[in-house]
Amino acid sequence: MVLNNLSLDHEEIRKNYPENPLEFFKDKKLCLFKACLEKYFPGVRYGIQDLLEVLDLDVITCANQSCCSGTFFQRNLITRPQFAAINERNLNEINHMADILLVSCNGCYNSLLRGRDFLRQSNIKKKTQAVLNNLKKNSSGENYPGKYELLKTPRLRIIHDLDFLHLIKDEVVNTLKFNLKGLKVAVHYGCHYLNLERDKRTEYGLKDSFFKDKTKLEDFINLFGGVPVDYQERESCCGWGASQIVLHEKDALKITFQKLKSVQNVGADLILTPCPTCLYTLGKPEHRENILKFYGEFIDVPVIHLNELIAILRGCEEERCVNIRKKDPRVHKIYEIITLD
Amino acid sequence: MDEYSDSDWNWDFYEGLVEDVNENKNIIQCIQCGKCVGECPAARISNFNIRKIITKVLRGDKSVLKEPDIWYCFLCERCKRVCPKEGINIPLLVINLRNESFRKSYGPKYNDLTKYVQMAEKFLTNGTVLSEPLDGGLPPERMEELNEICNHARIKYVFKASPESKNYDKIHRIIEKRKKLQKEKIKRK
Ligand code: SF4
Ligand code: SF4
Repeated sequence: MVLNNLSLDHEEIRKNYPENPLEFFKDKKLCLFKACLEKYFPGVRYGIQDLLEVLDLDVITCANQSCCSGTFFQRNLITRPQFAAINERNLNEINHMADILLVSCNGCYNSLLRGRDFLRQSNIKKKTQAVLNNLKKNSSGENYPGKYELLKTPRLRIIHDLDFLHLIKDEVVNTLKFNLKGLKVAVHYGCHYLNLERDKRTEYGLKDSFFKDKTKLEDFINLFGGVPVDYQERESCCGWGASQIVLHEKDALKITFQKLKSVQNVGADLILTPCPTCLYTLGKPEHRENILKFYGEFIDVPVIHLNELIAILRGCEEERCVNIRKKDPRVHKIYEIITLD
Repeated sequence: MDEYSDSDWNWDFYEGLVEDVNENKNIIQCIQCGKCVGECPAARISNFNIRKIITKVLRGDKSVLKEPDIWYCFLCERCKRVCPKEGINIPLLVINLRNESFRKSYGPKYNDLTKYVQMAEKFLTNGTVLSEPLDGGLPPERMEELNEICNHARIKYVFKASPESKNYDKIHRIIEKRKKLQKEKIKRK
């Protein structure tokens, strides 16, 4: 039993659908994992949901999904078996309604795969099972007993939004109304995308792809008519650091400042990221102001999530996703740059 | 210079820490190259030095549990990416060290739990860490499941510090309240 084999194999899809990888997803049910921070950035969710609907894909969300609980695990407020049980509960719920789980946040992505990783450890597996059994014992009525098992052979496969969008990039580009008009764009992948090896099938010798340069965001910038600009701190953390910004704000903001300063130094017009947590850290107005207070410089390069950017470039802002822009001056600024002549 | 001599090796602490973490058994193979420290964001802003911490762990030096440094790790996994050795999972080691530190009651001194009260409250009553999530929280009748899973976890003790907890005294009363509100909403519709 390969318990952690949850990640969708991108290479396999590319091999089997060389002409149009979108075909692979056509008869599948796709579920969007709900990230807590989408509350502040609704465009991260609606941007991709709207795109998928336009591409005629079957897309849902799961009402019974809870937060991934990574925040609590990372600060030792829940144990590994509890974290794995919360994860397994979510996976059970989603597994019985969808084939593919799309994840818009690096943190959730890491949590979902990490929870499964823990089950490779026999004692954690046993304890997680015990937590779930206890749930069954105490559940009644609608909580249909027997529901939460450790998934032995889940049909569900997980993919990060960035990897998914990159697989179908030609189709994405076909939906665009606007382009980046040669804007200089700096990328920020975020640690739990950049440094992650959980999504690589190491047991099949694919570890190499872990070390390969990650350039999917740069590919998108080129496809969107922008210019990717490299900068010294490209691979550094945004400063979130598993809540370090909450606990040691001034220190953590130093990391944020160094990153933003490095972006400014190369004259980037905006920063593109595939993670709402990084977006929150790099873009929150209060953080920018505190950087000014602590480190004496105000940096105003705007930052945007890939899903939001695609929504703007598709012109979706004008219709369905209009609220994203009205509520958020950050997105409005980028919208104006892109859409005004 | 290393302040330890060869006779200081002591595996008890290390074995206790990695006892149930197979993927960390390789810490013993650390060659002290320091690559992890060179790429570490926590090392840029504090005295956190994971190479030294690994040395201490391998020498059985438990003083590391009292150090504020272990609470600076960003859990960013950068070190895992640059470490020349296979199977050294530093973020997981740090989580284990913090757990031990908690057990010995040093933890809360460096891990300001007051910062988590609100998040714990939202999670245990709504199923998310923020209030008013995009599609509403977890349906109230499913909240009991999350609470059951989190039984005896530290998150429950943190939750007790929340005003909500004092007002309602027990989580399930909050859930009951949400259930009632939901029913009323349906009725109104
Ligand atoms: S996970 Fe911790 S030790 Fe490793 S590079 Fe990040 S901050 Fe440093
Ligand atoms: S990079 Fe790996 S081998 Fe080198 S000091 Fe760090 S943990 Fe040890």
